Amino acid sequence: MAQSIIIIAEHFEGELRPVTYELVGFALELQKFCPAKIKMLILGDDVAGLAQDAATHTGLDVVAVIVPALTTYNLEVYKGILSERLPDLDPVYICMAHTTQGADLAPPLAVRIKAACITGVVQVSGEKDRVSFARDMYAGKVVATFESTSERRILTLQPGSLPSPVFDHPAPVAVETWTATYLAKQSMSRGIKPPKETNAALTEAEVVVSAGKGVGKKENLQIIDNLSRLWPGSAVGGSRPVCDSGWLEYRQQVGTTGATVAPKLYVACGISGASQHIAGMRGSGFIVAINRDSGAAIFNVADVCVVEDLITFIPCLIEEHRKQSI
Amino acid sequence: MASTNIKILVCVKEVPQPEAPIGIDPSAGWVQIERSTSYRINRFDGFAVEEALLIKEAFPDTTVDFITVGPDRSAMILKRALGMGGDQGIHIVTDGEGYLSPFVTAHWIALYARGKTYDLILTGVMSEDYMQGQVGPTIAEFLSLPCATATIFERLSPGEGEVYVAREIEGGFRDTLVLRLPVVLTVQSGINRPRYPSLSNMLRAKRQQMKTIAAKSLKQTDPRQGVIGIAYPSKLRSGQVLIGTQEEKARELLKILSEKSLVQ
Ligand SMILES: Cc1cc2nc3c(=O)[nH]c(=O)nc-3n(C[C@H](O)[C@H](O)[C@H](O)COP(=O)(O)OP(=O)(O)OC[C@H]3O[C@@H](n4cnc5c(N)ncnc54)[C@H](O)[C@@H]3O)c2cc1C
Repeated sequence: MAQSIIIIAEHFEGELRPVTYELVGFALELQKFCPAKIKMLILGDDVAGLAQDAATHTGLDVVAVIVPALTTYNLEVYKGILSERLPDLDPVYICMAHTTQGADLAPPLAVRIKAACITGVVQVSGEKDRVSFARDMYAGKVVATFESTSERRILTLQPGSLPSPVFDHPAPVAVETWTATYLAKQSMSRGIKPPKETNAALTEAEVVVSAGKGVGKKENLQIIDNLSRLWPGSAVGGSRPVCDSGWLEYRQQVGTTGATVAPKLYVACGISGASQHIAGMRGSGFIVAINRDSGAAIFNVADVCVVEDLITFIPCLIEEHRKQSI
Repeated sequence: MASTNIKILVCVKEVPQPEAPIGIDPSAGWVQIERSTSYRINRFDGFAVEEALLIKEAFPDTTVDFITVGPDRSAMILKRALGMGGDQGIHIVTDGEGYLSPFVTAHWIALYARGKTYDLILTGVMSEDYMQGQVGPTIAEFLSLPCATATIFERLSPGEGEVYVAREIEGGFRDTLVLRLPVVLTVQSGINRPRYPSLSNMLRAKRQQMKTIAAKSLKQTDPRQGVIGIAYPSKLRSGQVLIGTQEEKARELLKILSEKSLVQ
C-alpha cells in the first residue's frame, strides 16, 4: 500500500469551511518532501454533495465517509472511525485545521494511532527526510521549529497561515464513498447553538479601537472610549480576556471565537497579539499597535508600532489631536 | 457513581508573566528567560481551578486536587491554587527548563491519576506559553476517558453519572454534549470569574505539605516530537516604530494617519 497524506475536511452548516482549502495547500507543501498521495476525507451523515464539490474544485481524491446520524462533529465518533480506517491508508501526515474541532480531535487520535501531534503549525520547511514545522509560542513572541521522528504525524494548521491554492480547472475525478457506523457511548451530541448576540456594530465599523488586558482595569476603558471618539462611527472592540472579565460585552470580542473585522483602521491597545486575536483582525486596512512591551507579537502585524504605556500615551494622543483641530 | 463524593483533579501550569522578555539561546535551540522573571498560573488554568471550586461549593463532599509538572519553582502556583481553595497539591518535579512534549506531561499526569478514581479532570484550554492545547485531551486518551475541549459551560449530574457540556466553537457558536463520567474537560476562559486567593487559604497552603514526585522516578515515554530551534517572527507589515517623546510619537502618529486620510 502506498503512503498517503490525509486531509480531514472541516464543514459547518452544510458547507466546507474555507480552511479546508488551506489544508489542501498545506498538503501540497508536505508533498514536496514526501511523494505520497493526497486524500481528503469528509465525515458526516450527508456529505456526498460536499465531497463532489471538493473533488471538482481541487481535482484531488476525495472520500465521502457517510456516517448515518452524524450531523455535527463528535469526537468519539470521528476518533472511532478514523483510528480504524487511517492505518489502512498508511498516512505519513494527517492534516487538520487548528480550529476547535482539530484541536479537539488531533491529540487523542494521535495517541490512538501512535502518531506525533504538532498543533498550530504556520509553516513547513526542510528537505527530504528532515521536515520541520514552525509554530508560535509565548503568545507569538517567538516561533519554534518542531521535528518529529515518528512515522506518522498529525498536524493542525493555523487558519490563515497559508493561502488556498488556485486550482486551474482540474481534471474530473471520481469521488469514493465509504459507509461507516459508530455508536457514541460516552459522549452524545446535543446540537449546536448559535451565538445570542450579534456583532454587526463591530464588523461594519470603519474604525475599530480595541482594548486588551493591558488596559489593566475596567475604569481604564474610559481611555479607550475617549480615543474612539476621534473617529465618528468607530466601534470599540476587545481581546477575549477583556470580555471574559466583563469589561466589554462578548459581542465586542475580536478573534477566532469572536468577530472577524476588517476595518480601514484598527487600533490595538494593550493587546499582546496571540494568533487567536490576530486571526480576527489581520485583514484590517491599516493597523496601529500601542503596547509597552517592544517584544509583543502584535507589532509584527502592525503598520505603526507605538511602544508606550497606553494609560499615559492615549490621553497625550487625544490632547495632540485636540490642539491640531483648533 | 452512587454518592455525590466527587473527586476532581485540576492540572495547572506556571507561565512567565506576559511582558517578560523571551530571549533565545541558539546553542540550546530553546528560549532563554531571565532568572528574575516572575511566573504566574496559566490564565486558562485559573478558570479550571475556579470551576472545580464552584463544583465543590455545589457538592460539598467534593475533593479538589491540583497537579503540576514543572521545575521546583512551580510549587508556587500550587500554593496559589490552594490559596483559592481545594485540598491537596501534587508536584511532579522536572529537572531543567527545556521543552517538554505534551505526550510526556500527559503521560506523567495520567500515571498519577490512574486508579485514583477521579470523576473529573480539568485543565485550561491551552497554556499561554506553549499554546499546544494538548495535555488535557492526551491525558483523556491515555486513561480512555471521554473529553471535551474549550468548555464554556458545564453542569454536573453526579446522580446520573453525566455532565452536560457546551464547547465554545468558532464565531461564538456552542457545541453541546452529554458526557458519561469520569471525563476530562479543558476549560475555556470566560466560563466563570476566578476568585482571588483568600488570606486564610494562603496561610493554610503555606503550611501544607505538597506531595512531590521526581519526574525521573516515573516511567519515561517517547516524546514523539521536539523543538530544534527558536526564532523571532518575521514582520508581516512595515511595522514603523515611532521614536521620541510621547508627544512626538503622538504627533507623528497623527501625521501618518492624516496622510492616509484615516483621521480628521
Ligand atoms: C480556542 C481559543 C480561542 C480564543 N479566541 C480568542 C479570541 O477570539 N480573541 C482573543 O482576543 N483571544 C482569544 N483567545 C485567547 C488568546 O490566546 C490570548 O490569550 C488573548 O488574545 C490575550 O489577550 P490580551 O492580548 O488582551 O492579553 P495578554 O496576552 O495578557 O496581553 C496584554 C498585553 O498588554 C500589554 N500591556 C500591559 N500593560 C500595558 C500598558 N499599561 N500599556 C500598554 N500595553 C500594556 C502587555 O505588554 C501585553 O502585551 C483564544 C484562545 C483559545 C485557546
